[in-house]
Amino acid sequence: MTKTISFLAFALALAPTAGFAKGDAAKGKSLAYTCTGCHGIAQYKNAYPSYYVPKIAGQNEAYIVNALTAYAKGERNHPTMSAQAMSFSAQEMADIAAYVSAQKTAK
Amino acid sequence: MTNRILLVCVLGAFAGQSLAMGVKGNAAAGKQKATAVCAACHGIDGNKTLDNSYPKLAGQYPDYMLKALKEYKSGKRVNAVMAAQAQGLSDADMANLAVYYASLKSQIGTLPN
Repeated sequence: MTKTISFLAFALALAPTAGFAKGDAAKGKSLAYTCTGCHGIAQYKNAYPSYYVPKIAGQNEAYIVNALTAYAKGERNHPTMSAQAMSFSAQEMADIAAYVSAQKTAK
Repeated sequence: MTNRILLVCVLGAFAGQSLAMGVKGNAAAGKQKATAVCAACHGIDGNKTLDNSYPKLAGQYPDYMLKALKEYKSGKRVNAVMAAQAQGLSDADMANLAVYYASLKSQIGTLPN
């Protein structure tokens, strides 16, 4: 498992940069612990507004950085996500995105 | 449970509509619209995105996608490209698109715990 993550981190390091801070998937994993409270439960629904919390494992890395940045800036509105995103630095967002995008989906 | 789902699918097929996790839409109509509007960036399969900064849509929850599209149109969710795209979509178009992309083979999922 650690080997896989190291390999992924290495592969990501080699990948052409998309113009954002390079993410450290290992650091991202511990930062992403909070995310699993909602994004780690299949078909988990927000209390309000009520909709399924989006699937993010395996999502594109740069998109996740953009989404977190947009929540932090108020370009996307969701009380929980805004609060989370505002607590992260740009580097931490990149770390989270590196981890989350590298996750293989269970189904 | 499986029978009930089947029944819903069968009934949905009769109406040309399917109810995918709370969103009622026509996947075939959604595919048509997706080909014309969304596929250039999100891929017709919802996985091969033009750029890494565009999200994969295949298999995403349809009610989340519907909400995202409505918010792009209203301006609640701010994105210049998506705002422009969403202006041309009716509520029915959005529902059809959400149902279509939700039905595709997915590369995204729930985070491991």
